[in-house]
Amino acid sequence: MIERLARATLRLYPLGFRRRYEPEMLALLEDRPVGALGLLDLLWGAVRAHIRPPGSLAAQVSPDERVRLSASGVLLYWVLFAAAGFGYYKTTEDVPFSRAGHAHPLLGVAHAAVQALALIGSGAVLLGAGPLIALALARARREPAWRRMVWRAVWPVLGFLGLSAGLVALAHSGWRGSAGTVGHGLAIALSLLGLGCGAACVLACRRALLGLPVPARWLRNALVWATVAAAAMGLMAVMVAIYAAGLLSEAAGLASVGNGPFGLVSIGASLIAQLAAMTVLGALAAAAAARGWRRVRQPGAGETV
Amino acid sequence: MRYIGERPSDPSVLVLTSLADGPKHGYAITADVERFAGVRLGPGTLYGALSRLEDRGLIEPLPAEDRRRPYRLTAAGSEALQRELEVLRAVAGQGLDRLRVAEARR
Repeated sequence: MIERLARATLRLYPLGFRRRYEPEMLALLEDRPVGALGLLDLLWGAVRAHIRPPGSLAAQVSPDERVRLSASGVLLYWVLFAAAGFGYYKTTEDVPFSRAGHAHPLLGVAHAAVQALALIGSGAVLLGAGPLIALALARARREPAWRRMVWRAVWPVLGFLGLSAGLVALAHSGWRGSAGTVGHGLAIALSLLGLGCGAACVLACRRALLGLPVPARWLRNALVWATVAAAAMGLMAVMVAIYAAGLLSEAAGLASVGNGPFGLVSIGASLIAQLAAMTVLGALAAAAAARGWRRVRQPGAGETV
Repeated sequence: MRYIGERPSDPSVLVLTSLADGPKHGYAITADVERFAGVRLGPGTLYGALSRLEDRGLIEPLPAEDRRRPYRLTAAGSEALQRELEVLRAVAGQGLDRLRVAEARR
């Protein structure tokens, strides 16, 4: 089991790193199987390879592939950002927050701005990914191999929708346990499964995008919308910061109330954690988009279709 | 002053030391490091160090044997390792001397 996980973890390394070192790393894993600590070491290695990629490995990835990786990277950060955003929405959806928003205009404006930016970001993701999805579907109609690849992205989406429907049905069923320990535990488990579905979908899309012949202008279009989504993420983080600061100073009583399943952390602490996640993910998305634009301007970019 | 590693047990220093007596591939490096330093390098740490060292021109890959690719020190790598080990020897000597003096005072 751990051996399979270790081999799967290699897929989390940057493409250039994989192309250069994956065969050797697989050989090492065969010669010297790893345990749980070795698996964590591989995971940390993947994180480091993304944060500080060796410069010489850039040549392993063509400018065209770099643009595709940037677009799919922004999509991955968007999905993770959406999870943090959903947490923010659930934290601030109740009536006392609406009252606080009416009493303190800054809170109301920041909250409305987050929602508007979420719509803009979602629209940008759909506009960027739409043509590529249409292209993949058209190819899937002709080629069985591509049909399987498309289904790999569709299954997690269907799984996520099924989970969400189950959660909503459970919440409205009147089942007493939904507000108790079992219900809270179930909510956490379903949230984690939902996050897993999102990540699986993005990884499948990334794989499909790397193998799909795409007209250069469509790829550029995807990068433009990815940049819009990254900008929306950055602005949302700013708005959540304003909201959190406003709530902590103007409605301190509300900020200290317990939040989430089991109420283990206060609303203020939840908002700060959500803000931290949004800031990091927004910065990563901006960096991914910037890397894409740097490669678009390089000779050779966009020639492969 | 440019450092190879941040501490004596830094993976980069361990890998360079392992390659000092000849080329080795990934498995041979980890086995060797475990033998002489008592440190087991995980695959992520090992290939992170190899990629950084290769990037800095301190080691170079040789043609792969099956999927196992040996690495060897470059001239720059030998010089860098020499400098690093001399610093470590000076630090170790200083530390041991000071401990001896402190011991004698007690």
